[in-house]
Amino acid sequence: MTRGTVAVLALAAAAPSLAAQPIAQRVNAVRDGTVRFAYTAAAGTCGNGDGGVSVMGRNGRDGQYWGARICETGPVRVSLGRSDGQTISVRKYVGGRWSASSDATDLGVVDATEAARYLLTVAPSLGGRNGSEAVAAAAIADATIAPELTRVVQNGGAPIDTRKDALFWLGQSEIGAAEFTRLYDSAQPFALREQWTFVLSQRHEDPAVDKLIDIARGDSDAEIRKRAMFWLGQSREPKAVKFLHDIILR
Amino acid sequence: MGRLAILVASAFAAPLGAQTIAQRIARADRPVQVIYPSRPTACGDGRSYVSHVFEDGYSFGSDDNTMYQRGDGWSRGACVHGPARVVATVMSGEVTRLRVYVGPVPPSTDMETVNASASDAAAWLTSLITGENSRVAASAILPLILLDAPDPWPLLLRVARDNRRSINVRRDALMWLGTGACAHLGIEQKRDDTPDDEMRTQAVFALSQRPKSESVPALMDLARSAKYPSAKRSAIFWLGQTGDPRAADVFAELLGLR
Repeated sequence: MTRGTVAVLALAAAAPSLAAQPIAQRVNAVRDGTVRFAYTAAAGTCGNGDGGVSVMGRNGRDGQYWGARICETGPVRVSLGRSDGQTISVRKYVGGRWSASSDATDLGVVDATEAARYLLTVAPSLGGRNGSEAVAAAAIADATIAPELTRVVQNGGAPIDTRKDALFWLGQSEIGAAEFTRLYDSAQPFALREQWTFVLSQRHEDPAVDKLIDIARGDSDAEIRKRAMFWLGQSREPKAVKFLHDIILR
Repeated sequence: MGRLAILVASAFAAPLGAQTIAQRIARADRPVQVIYPSRPTACGDGRSYVSHVFEDGYSFGSDDNTMYQRGDGWSRGACVHGPARVVATVMSGEVTRLRVYVGPVPPSTDMETVNASASDAAAWLTSLITGENSRVAASAILPLILLDAPDPWPLLLRVARDNRRSINVRRDALMWLGTGACAHLGIEQKRDDTPDDEMRTQAVFALSQRPKSESVPALMDLARSAKYPSAKRSAIFWLGQTGDPRAADVFAELLGLR
């Protein structure tokens, strides 16, 4: 081994390639401007490349349709706005490609799980539409992120709308119905519990229907009970309708 | 000859009083207010709302007949019994809009006034309800019910069962038939519901939002046989909102009519 070879190896060990650095570190290296990256979309996700996204969820396809335009199955492309070293905006796209003329810092294709986790760390501080885009962009990644979504749902310091978004996507995730329904008991704000009744209604497994019935029967907040009843009325489950009749007759 | 016979027949179909109100309105070049005796329970402030059409807690905005319950935020004038007053907007001799008031009659400067008997007002309002303008027909139902006269349920049943009428008119007719049925059964909303009643009411609402093929039969059954007044009342209300002609049969039954 020559002296020169040793020097190159030592340099490589001390300074890993840019692609090997965590996404957060690479994003944070850009103080002002735009950072963009792409990653693999979850199965069943497609988009028109222009912000329109369609997701094959638990109840079939949700999202927008664009007439004759092709719904491309990926990748997820994310554009971050940076100002004073902070991520201040998030936009997601599925399909399509970046414009060649942009002067954005392009991180290229990154690991979907890492990207989703990064997006869920910035979502609580963004809130509003940007928080919603960050959560959705994470949720449509080809990644298992139920624990991270749960943390956003339970983050009392995050904007309530961001927590509601996270709850929606958590309900659509791979999380088991029993575990998902258990989380309800620690949900406090009215808006979150109200959203929970809706999200539960979108899962048609037995434990979810049973939980909705429990909420309708005994939640401490009468308004939440009413919301649960409304969603039970929308259910295809015979026991949901039977429960409503029981309430009327008892 | 045939034409003469038709003219004679239509002259006999409308009472003279109705013709008089209609004729005066047809000649009017400004709004006309028709004042007539109101049912004893009814009250209002004469300017913005009507209340206690029946012995319940509902009020109706004079501008659009929107129904609401008087709550903590109530800030309108006192509810005073007095005559009913219908203000008709007239364009080219046709009534295009009705607003109804009960209570003190404010001094009028820009309206023509018709003081009518209950029977003349009933004939005029009936002609509007059975007329072609569905918006006016729907808004004439409350003024007709406000009359100090026998309840107009047979007419409203005919309207509700007539598939040629617009859904809005039929739905309004059904809503009032349902309200009348609740009053007839003595299950009007007279006080706040208990928490259990609130849940029963919500459960009925939830059922009412199911597909019509399920909800209408369920509501018909509950309207006929629900044990609790709150559930029965709610079923009657939501059944009326469906606009389904079968609701008229249930309401007729509850009112003791055919």
